Amino acid sequence: MNTIIAATWKELLRRKMLLLTAVLTLLFLAVFWYIAGTVALNVPDGTRMLEQFARRSAILSLGFFFGGFVVAFLAIFSSFSVISGEAEQGVLQSVLTRPIPRWKWYVGRWLGYVSLIGAYALLLFVSIVWITGVHAGMTRNYGDLAVSLLLFALMVPVLVSASMLGSSLFSGIGNGVFMTMLYGAGWLGGMVEKVRGVLPVEPDAQQTLSHIGVLLSLAMPADGLNRRMQFILTRGAGETIPFLTGGTPPSNAFVWYAAAFAIFAFGLGLWLFRRKDF
Amino acid sequence: MNTVIPAIQTHALSKIYGNGRGCRDITITVGQGEAFGFLGPNGAGKSTFVKTLVGLVRPSGGEGVLLGHPIGSLEARGRIGYLPELYRYPEWLSGEEVMRMHTGLLGIKSGDAKARIRSGLDEVGIGKRGSDRVKQYSKGMQQRLGLACALLGDPDILFLDEPSSAMDPVGRREVRDLLLELKKRGKTLFLNSHLLEDVEAVCDRMALMLNGDMIRSGSVSDMLKVKVRRRFKVGGFSPVVLDWLIAETGLPINLSHTAEPQDWEEPVWLEAELEDEHQAGRINALIVGQGMTLYETVNEREKLEDWFMDAVAGLDHRGEKR
Repeated sequence: MNTIIAATWKELLRRKMLLLTAVLTLLFLAVFWYIAGTVALNVPDGTRMLEQFARRSAILSLGFFFGGFVVAFLAIFSSFSVISGEAEQGVLQSVLTRPIPRWKWYVGRWLGYVSLIGAYALLLFVSIVWITGVHAGMTRNYGDLAVSLLLFALMVPVLVSASMLGSSLFSGIGNGVFMTMLYGAGWLGGMVEKVRGVLPVEPDAQQTLSHIGVLLSLAMPADGLNRRMQFILTRGAGETIPFLTGGTPPSNAFVWYAAAFAIFAFGLGLWLFRRKDF
Repeated sequence: MNTVIPAIQTHALSKIYGNGRGCRDITITVGQGEAFGFLGPNGAGKSTFVKTLVGLVRPSGGEGVLLGHPIGSLEARGRIGYLPELYRYPEWLSGEEVMRMHTGLLGIKSGDAKARIRSGLDEVGIGKRGSDRVKQYSKGMQQRLGLACALLGDPDILFLDEPSSAMDPVGRREVRDLLLELKKRGKTLFLNSHLLEDVEAVCDRMALMLNGDMIRSGSVSDMLKVKVRRRFKVGGFSPVVLDWLIAETGLPINLSHTAEPQDWEEPVWLEAELEDEHQAGRINALIVGQGMTLYETVNEREKLEDWFMDAVAGLDHRGEKR
């Protein structure tokens, strides 16, 4: 399995996906540094604490708005053609006739993607939190930080599992479109929830919007994890930027649902892959 | 040839896809060290059958074993090398890295791997270009790399699906020589090829697939055991002589279709399907003995291509849905 994990890492590095992402991330972080310095409110004497928290919350929300998208797209676009695309190209045929069980190939690829993209997510999380901390101070609750990091990183296995499952079912390009739209649906679910919280809406419509938002978030829980993570990092700060923060955050049950979603998608993908004809 | 455990044995092995295509009830036995050729037009089901044997496709029915192990099992896959028909290797790797990845998949220890990679690349003529990225390889080079990968684990059975289709004539000749060398080393070869001369040169036995069914099989020499066709260019000929020749020899002798003499002054071509050279000698003697002039004789042996065309002539052989 080590051979397959190493081949996956090599693919991500040689195809320059990580390099391009890293360069663009550095550019973003430079801009984010400037934005954080501009928006932050440093009040040494501790007065206007609430406003300081609110601004910190806004900075974090901006950072993770970008971070969520980058991690999601990196996870989707690196793995969307891993099965169907490689089968169409004829790469898989020579590999799957080797004396290794198919599950080892599938698990090896999954581990390869999740480990490398997860490491990128970890670095991005630390960078955003550090820049925010420099300019606007940061929570000292390391438990919250650890949980937030785990929630942010959990996006990766959720997306990679769904993407590999889709790749067992659809063509390479078809799965790329499907996964992008699925992630977009989950993101839209969060937006619906925020709209419902911000705009004055009739109670009946509130209920309907809530159902739509929940269903969309359940269809792809990755963005919901991001929102839950931001809620933990900024709890108590309240609404500061319409449509970027606020709304009802996903619950703890939703986090368990997301974990179950990842396990189910991984298991179903593996089951299909073991039975697939190439 | 070790006939105790066949290298490949199938019984009514079938793979039918949802559209009705695939291969049906294929029963074959290939002995160890034998070279078996699989022929058929496009869409005949040859590649499906091979994919079923190497474990890429789950059979719809029947069974098969490779060296006593069920097809698709790890034990069976550990004894084979496979060159797929349509394949590419990751473009971001070099030829050596592709080989190294496959040594890892085969469980070859890193100490042995380096030497095997070097000799494998040399054997197929890639040599020092092994350090180049695959994206810089021509199709022929990629096919050579595929062959090197297939040979990497020193397999007992080699499944080769169109092994030299992308190569130039020199490359084809080299691959053919390599296959003959592998055969000498006792490897079992299962060759799917449109290049009939490869099958004719390398294989001991062959089978013909058509629309998913195996319609003929046997040894190459038996299947090509068409009588020698001999042509005789004769001057001073008359139709009465033809009847006399047929009566004297008891052989089917005809005037060539291309000959349409208006008078019998010009030489004509006679044709006869003969069992051996002695029959040709007797006809020669009879022609000369009658005072006719024998200008020349031509020997025409049927080639596999003629056999193939005859076998599929008049049949629906484009893989249309039944």
